[in-house]
This record gives sequence, C-alpha cells and structure tokens, in this order.
Amino acid sequence: MKDLIEFIVRSLVEKPEAVIVTETEGEQATVIEVKVADEDAGKVIGREGRIANALRILAKAAGAKDRKRVTVEIITKEERRNG
Amino acid sequence: MKKLAMKGKDVKEAVNAASKVLGKGIDEIEYRVINEGKSGVLGVFGGEDAEIEAWGKTSPGEEAKNILQEILDKLGLMAIAEKKRDENGEIELNIKGEDLGQIIGKDGATLKALQTVMVAIIGNIYKEKIRVYVDAGGYKERHEKALERLALDAAKDVEESGKEKVLPPMTAADRRIIHICLKDSDKITTYSQGEGADRRLVIAPK
Repeated sequence: MKDLIEFIVRSLVEKPEAVIVTETEGEQATVIEVKVADEDAGKVIGREGRIANALRILAKAAGAKDRKRVTVEIITKEERRNG
Repeated sequence: MKKLAMKGKDVKEAVNAASKVLGKGIDEIEYRVINEGKSGVLGVFGGEDAEIEAWGKTSPGEEAKNILQEILDKLGLMAIAEKKRDENGEIELNIKGEDLGQIIGKDGATLKALQTVMVAIIGNIYKEKIRVYVDAGGYKERHEKALERLALDAAKDVEESGKEKVLPPMTAADRRIIHICLKDSDKITTYSQGEGADRRLVIAPK
C-alpha cells in the first residue's frame, strides 16, 4: 500500500525526492503518512481536497483484502530556514 | 519505459546507434548522457567512449497507459490497462481483468479516484490540460447510457407536462453527461441548483 501511495505522489509533484511515505500498521487500522515539500502540498491535496480524497480511496482499495481501516494523512514539511 | 544503454565514439554516434537499435528516427527518441567521452591522444590512446541511455519517445496516451498499469499492479489487482483512444488532447483508457468489481468500487468510487489521480499525474507530466478518461470493462459506458436514458425520459416528461423536473443529486461528471445529452433540445433547458453533494440538475421547459 505504501508503494502505491509513494508511486502516485512522486508522479504528482515537482520534487519527488522530497516525498516521504511511512506506513504504520495498527491492529485495526493502517495509517499512511505522506510528507511532501511545502510547494507541492497543493498538488497532493488538490482542489477541494479532491486528490487527497482519491488517495484515500485507492489506499482503501489496496487494503481491502485485509479489511482494515486505512487513513492517509498529508503532512507538509516544515521548511528549515537558515538565519 | 524500456531504456537502452549505448556506447559510441562520441555522443552523436551513440545516439545514432541507439536510434537504429530502437528502430526509431533520431527525432523519435530521447536520451540522457551518462558519459560525454574523451577523444584521447591521437584519437586512439586513453580515449573513453561516450555513453548514453536512450528510449523511445512516448505519447501522452502511451505514458498514461503505462502509469495506470503500474498503479493497478501496486494495487495488487489482476488487471490490464489498455489505451482505447488518444487524440485531440483526450485519452481514453480501459481496464480489463478479473477484479473489475474491486476496481470500480462502490458507485464507481474507486474508478473515479483512479481517473482523478491519472488526470493529475498526466497534467503534471505534460503541463497542459489533457482529458483522461478511465473505464473498467465498459462500466462507465453502461453508466452513461443509463444516465442518457434517464435524461431523455425526464426531458419527455417536462415537454409533455410543461413543468420543470429536479433530478436526484449527482456528481459534476454525471450532471455534465445529462447536460450535454439535452443541450440541443429546442423545447427544454437544463441548469444546476444546490450546493456540494446535494447539487442537482433541473430540466425546465424553454
């Protein structure tokens, strides 16, 4: 599932190298965290959250076989500013 | 995308060789230089071959098909992506296979998510508005036909009764199908009302 989200998100952004996807599996739910560069956040979330929502639906479809709840959270990286 | 590594005396020669091996013209391939190469002493000693990596240019339709296939594979579904149409900035893809029910999802939700993601990815790659349609085993075609029947029936009612008719809430895409289906009628007109998930199409007499 992580592979799937990582592949889609990397294809959507300007800075694929900044994409970090982590998957945390609990007993009943799986949480997928997606970190992207700040300027790419809009691309991954989409107008009215349309893309983020599509990612959630696809993650669920990928996890459908083990019937777990899946959530996808999109986190924008805090930009470290020098000086 | 299949990549081919190729060496040559210089970059130009390597590109020519790659174009021959790929069976495509020079303007039909793209390449990346791995090593510029050095000519060496007297063009013989200590020289290094130029090295490139080359691949055939892919059309947006071909690229879209490959990406969809990769997504299906990563979804763990037994399915094959095929390109049905690729012209005038419109790409139509279809999915064939065993797990179509799972690909379509409840009320077509998964299929719609696939399309949303494909539109965004292709838009990001080509930086232009390309319409991408994703269907699975003709599901959307059947769904569209059903909507068109509904539209024509409702339009007939409106024509006969002279009263406007409000259709059930629908997605923007579904409303668009009905709107296009009825736009040439000279007796009725369509408009939308309501917000968000409750937005409905209204068929009204002209």
